[in-house]
This record gives sequence, C-alpha cells and structure tokens, in this order.
Amino acid sequence: MFSVSPEIYSVLSQASRWIFIFLALMLLFLAFSWHHTDRKERRDRFKNLPGAGTVGELVVLSGSDELPVDTWFPVPREGVLGSLRSCDLVIPCPGVSSHHLDFSWQDGTGLLIRPRVGCEVLIDGVPVTRRGMDMPLVHGSVLQIGSAVLRLQLFAALSHTNRTFIPLQPAVGSFSDPMPQPVPIPVQYPQEPVNAQPVFCPPPYQESVPLQIPVEPPMPVQPVPQPPAPEQLPVQEGSPLAPAAPRRKRADRWKEDWSE
Amino acid sequence: MTKQKSSARFRFSGVMLFLALFFFLVPALQAGDYRLYMLAAGVPCAMLLCCTILARAFSLDRLILALSLFFCSVGIASLAMTAPDTALVQAVSCGIGIIVLIVGAILIRSLSGSLLTAISAAFLGLLLLAAKLIAPTFTLPATQPALTLLLIAFAVLLSREGPISAAGLGIAAAVLLMLRGETADALIWGLTILLLLFAADGRLLVVLPSLAAFALLFYGMYSMQTQTLVYPEALSADTLKAVGVLGADLLPEGLAVPETGSLFSRLLGHYGLVFTGLTVLLYLPLILRGTTVASCARMRFHAILAMGICLLLGLSTLASVLSFFGFLPFTGLEMPLLTTSLPSLCAHLFLAGILCGISGRNDSDLAEDAHLAMLAK
Repeated sequence: MFSVSPEIYSVLSQASRWIFIFLALMLLFLAFSWHHTDRKERRDRFKNLPGAGTVGELVVLSGSDELPVDTWFPVPREGVLGSLRSCDLVIPCPGVSSHHLDFSWQDGTGLLIRPRVGCEVLIDGVPVTRRGMDMPLVHGSVLQIGSAVLRLQLFAALSHTNRTFIPLQPAVGSFSDPMPQPVPIPVQYPQEPVNAQPVFCPPPYQESVPLQIPVEPPMPVQPVPQPPAPEQLPVQEGSPLAPAAPRRKRADRWKEDWSE
Repeated sequence: MTKQKSSARFRFSGVMLFLALFFFLVPALQAGDYRLYMLAAGVPCAMLLCCTILARAFSLDRLILALSLFFCSVGIASLAMTAPDTALVQAVSCGIGIIVLIVGAILIRSLSGSLLTAISAAFLGLLLLAAKLIAPTFTLPATQPALTLLLIAFAVLLSREGPISAAGLGIAAAVLLMLRGETADALIWGLTILLLLFAADGRLLVVLPSLAAFALLFYGMYSMQTQTLVYPEALSADTLKAVGVLGADLLPEGLAVPETGSLFSRLLGHYGLVFTGLTVLLYLPLILRGTTVASCARMRFHAILAMGICLLLGLSTLASVLSFFGFLPFTGLEMPLLTTSLPSLCAHLFLAGILCGISGRNDSDLAEDAHLAMLAK
C-alpha cells in the first residue's frame, strides 16, 4: 500500500498532532454550543407550549391560610402530592403528609391515585385505598386530602388524540351530587391549553354530604363562580360563551406558592 | 430545525469525521498498512451512517450519539498505531456496541416501569454479580452489564415502590460488589444510588439510614481488605515528560505495555496530555446532555434512570482519571466507552442508548403537545 518517506512522515505526524489538538478543542466548543442551542430551542418551545407535560389543573375549593381558595396547580403526568416543597404538587394544609400520595396519568382512564401508607384520600367522597386503581380522578372529580378539597379539571384537548378519555360513572353515595359527564362536544379550544378555562366545567362544588375523614373540619367552601354547564349555555348565533370568572395569572400564583 | 442548530450540528459532525479520518490515515501513511487504510475508510463512513440515517430512523439524540461514536473512534485510534489487529477487533466490538445502543434506545421506549421489569432486571443483575462467587470459574467481566440491569431495576423500584425497596436492592448489589473485591465499582454504585435516593425522595428518614448503612459497609470491607488496596504507582515526572504535550508514536517507558495497557494510557502515550485532557473534558457535554434529558423526562422512571446513568458515567470517569494519576487506591479502572472489554463497552453503549431513547421520547411527547396546541387553535 501507499506510504511516505520517514522524513515526510515525521513532519506530517508532528503537524497532525497539533491539528488533532485544535480539532479536539473545536469539538469541545461545538459540543457545548450544540447543547446550548438545543436547550435554547427547547426553552422557546416550552414558552409557546406552557401546558406541555401537564394534563390539567387542580383547583383549590377549600384550603388553608397558606393555600387560598381558587389557587390552581398544573398537574404533571406523574408525581407526588404532599406538603413538602420537593413534591410535584405542594399542598400545605393540615392533615396532608409530607408525601401523601402518588399520582400518574393513564391514557383512557384518568389520573390514578395511590395514597402512601397511613394516608387517607377521598375521591368524590369515597375513600381510596392503596390499591384503589378502580377509581381514578376524572374531569370534575373532587379530591379531598386532609383539610384540602381540590377539583381536577382536565384539558379538553386530551379527548381529541389517541389519549382517549373515558370518564367512569360516579360512585354510589358520592361525595357530592353526581358530576355531569364531560360531553365531547366540538368546542372552541383555548389558544393556550393551560391558561384557558376547560370547556366543560362542572357545577360549583356543593357540600351536600358531610365529609367523613378530615383531620380538621374543612373550611367552608367558597363557591367559585363558574360558567354554567355546556348544555345550559344560552346558545346565540355569533355571541361568545359567557365570560369566565376573572382569574389571577399563573405566574402570580406560582410566585405565591413558591415564595418561600 | 433552525439554521443555528443545524449549523452547530453540521460543524460538529464535520470536525468529528475529519478527525476520525486523520486518526487512521496518518499512521497508515507511515506503514502503508492496509488494515489502517480500511479503518480510515470504514470508521468515518460508519460514523456518518450512524449520525444521519440511524439517528433519524430511530429518533436518537444526535449529540449523545455523536459523542459516543467519537469516544469509540478514539478508542480504536489509540490502538491503531501499535496494534492494528487489535484496533480492527475493537472496531468490530464498537459495531456490536452500536447495535446494542440502538436496542437500548428502542427498548426504553417500550419498557414500562412495571414490577415485572424491576424483578427480572434485579434478578439478572444480582445473578451476574453472584455468578463469580457461586462459580469461581466464571471469568466473564460482567460487572458493568450487571450494574446496568441493577440501575434499571433501581429506577423502577424508586419510581414505583418507594425508596425502601430501592435502597434494599442497592445495598444488596453493593455487598455483592464488595464480596467480589470490586471496591471501586461498589463505591461508585453506592454514591450513585445515594444521590438518586436524595434526589427522588429527599427525606432524611430515608437518606440518613442508607448513608449509615453504606458507611458501615464500606468501613467493614475496607478494614478487611486493607491489605489488597494498594495505591497505583503514580506516573513519574520522567514519564509525563516523555509523553509531553503531543505524545509519540511509541509508548514511552513507564506507561503500560501495548498489549495489556488500558486505552486511556495508550491515548495518553500516543496523543499527549493536551489531547487526552480535551477528550476527558468531552465527557462533560455528554453528562450535561444526559441531565437535560433527565430533567425533561415526563415519567419518573425515565427521569431517575437518566440521572442515574449520568451519575454512573460521570463518577466512573472521575474515578478512572483520579486512580490513573494515583490519587485513588484502585487499579484497573477504565473510562466509560474507552475500554477493550466487549461486555463493558456494550453496557456503556446500552446506557448511552437509553439516554438517546429517553431523549427521543421527550421529543415525541413535546411534538404531541404541539399537535394538541395546534388542534386547540
């Protein structure tokens, strides 16, 4: 095979070693640059998709001094709910353990709840056991942990993809009046999924049956002004839906939630 | 794809291919060896194929893939000057490793964090570790594959069953590693799972007992094995001077002989301190990218697993460099992806493949969210 004389090779070898160093330096710089560019692009995409990675929101119906009514949390697909700051959903209320429950979204079923050992949870007034996979949180379900009462509102767009959303029938002797089933009506989807009101909102939370397990008696529930259910909406040609109740911006709420 | 992104990617790929070509072409010009010419043609072509077609076909993370390929090419190049036959064997090993990488990337997308996954991975991992204790004739270097399986099982248990069972598995694996006499691997594994426990749970109630158990374990084993722990002979000033900034074609005295020496010492001898230092620094973007993948993951299982891989690779790199220069009392540690052992190379590339797969899954999740947002408009 082709080879060069030793004199030429020695020059070539020395030169190539310097070139290798230069190229390795370039590789290092370009690798960091590539990584930085990708991160920046991903951050920009997240800015345009503020609800990315979440399935809905939990609205506080009854909380504590640290958790005022009408606060809402974006719900990720999986995580831990508890009173510790390291949890994915932080509920600083009496009766809520540091790590109270694990939750995970399952396509076609809903938000599965798994309470930790010794922790008690009510979904629509029904106690959930650790194996209670048969009663997931669906749109409009009310979750009670300790003295906190939260309602889940799912993004309407979830019913449009392969993540087919099949809400279950409400349990017998439920916590409140039977929730209206989400109606998969063709709706005007919000511009930004997170910041918009879900299209089919259940009626306001009503405390019709006394709670069974609270550590402290729950705070009196302040009904949140909600638009009426879709079937009750006055349908008028060319007129928009009834305006939703004014809500604080998400950034403000997070600032409060994470102020410590 | 933005212009800026494609620019950084294309430049990186171009430089990497250029480097891979000249790694083999320059020594080939000296000896006129057809094997080196084969490597000079084959390695850049294989890298180009992987970075373009395979990355697109399997939705792999291109930066992690490119860096893994670069480390593989560096490993082959460090053998090429003095042992072309071994370099060819190493190239074949890397080819097998790339197949394993793709398998890892595909597997992690379909693998659910179920209890069955945890039990089977933990059983296989512990069996591989215990095999040498049960049958002393079993000489296959199975530590890295076992750690890979155990890391998957640990991530499943931690994300699904909680920290107690995960810590139990971690301590069992550490005990087996210590009984095998692989103190360095046990230390790296222990640190990895402690940091993961702290990241995933954060309760002192869990972390402190685990820390105490590991401390007791290491103290006990260290006091038993004090005789066997020997600081490796530090590189003398003469050796470092002989290596120099640029290295030499022939390995200087003081570094390991070519047939048995580690790839890192060969790299140092042939390409000098500066190039070797820059190569070690290239592990940083790999680990940074892995942590980004972990932070963007939607599933806890994926997040814990990706972070565990980053920790395992990062700590292994650090321990190898420190022990090579005599700062740690361990010998025989090899850099991740820079090893001649096929099981270790495959295990490391499998871990890189898992990172690639999780990154691809993150991208597809984000694309799905964008699709939902588009539907909403």
